[in-house]
Amino acid sequence: MEARLETGPLVSTEPVMAWRAWMLWYRRRAAEPVLLRPIVGSTRPWPPAEPARATCVRPKLHRAPFPHCTCGLYATRSEELLRRTRNPAVVGTVALWGRVIEHELGYRAEYAYPQRLQLVCYLCFFTWGVHGTHPTVAVQPARGQLTPLCPEHLDLSARYGFPTQRWMPADEVEGALLAAYRVDLLRR
Amino acid sequence: MNIGKERRIIEVEPVTSPLPEVLPMPVPEKEPELEPAEPGS
Repeated sequence: MEARLETGPLVSTEPVMAWRAWMLWYRRRAAEPVLLRPIVGSTRPWPPAEPARATCVRPKLHRAPFPHCTCGLYATRSEELLRRTRNPAVVGTVALWGRVIEHELGYRAEYAYPQRLQLVCYLCFFTWGVHGTHPTVAVQPARGQLTPLCPEHLDLSARYGFPTQRWMPADEVEGALLAAYRVDLLRR
Repeated sequence: MNIGKERRIIEVEPVTSPLPEVLPMPVPEKEPELEPAEPGS
């Protein structure tokens, strides 16, 4: 028998803290050239200095997130769950508020904002987690994209034909990202 | 992303903003005026 979703009037005054991964959005001439971009779903970058807000593909049907729908801003209870994420470039903590639907392994929220961020080499992150990744460059494989890589995986990527000719120092990209969202570095 | 089955709904109304704040510059406190010393006996 499926457990019923508790819909009691549970109200909290503290934001829910959770984990999330993103891609990097890059526009060289933009006022904020480096921004967070969802890996799945909307391609619009998260706005700096204002909350990200969830919407549903059926906005007139219900407020997002809605029970038994898939809408909402997703986050996980632990960073370990993010290691299976497809090609993350940034991992960090987020504050969630508004309507928050709690799931077994994470949350779907109405509003979210980053709290701490760091760039990750997605290959190191998959193998060793968030504390085992130290990218040194951010490669630009295509317009608008940045892929952080450590030296070992930069070399490996080049040998397998991944376009690595255009790149920037990872610490500069990370600094621009932290400045845009006015948050601190996650990495110890 | 698979985050498992739904459990419950929480309505979060933060007392303090989760957005970063630019802290105001602290205003230095005025030095307290010294009271005149009482004449010695």
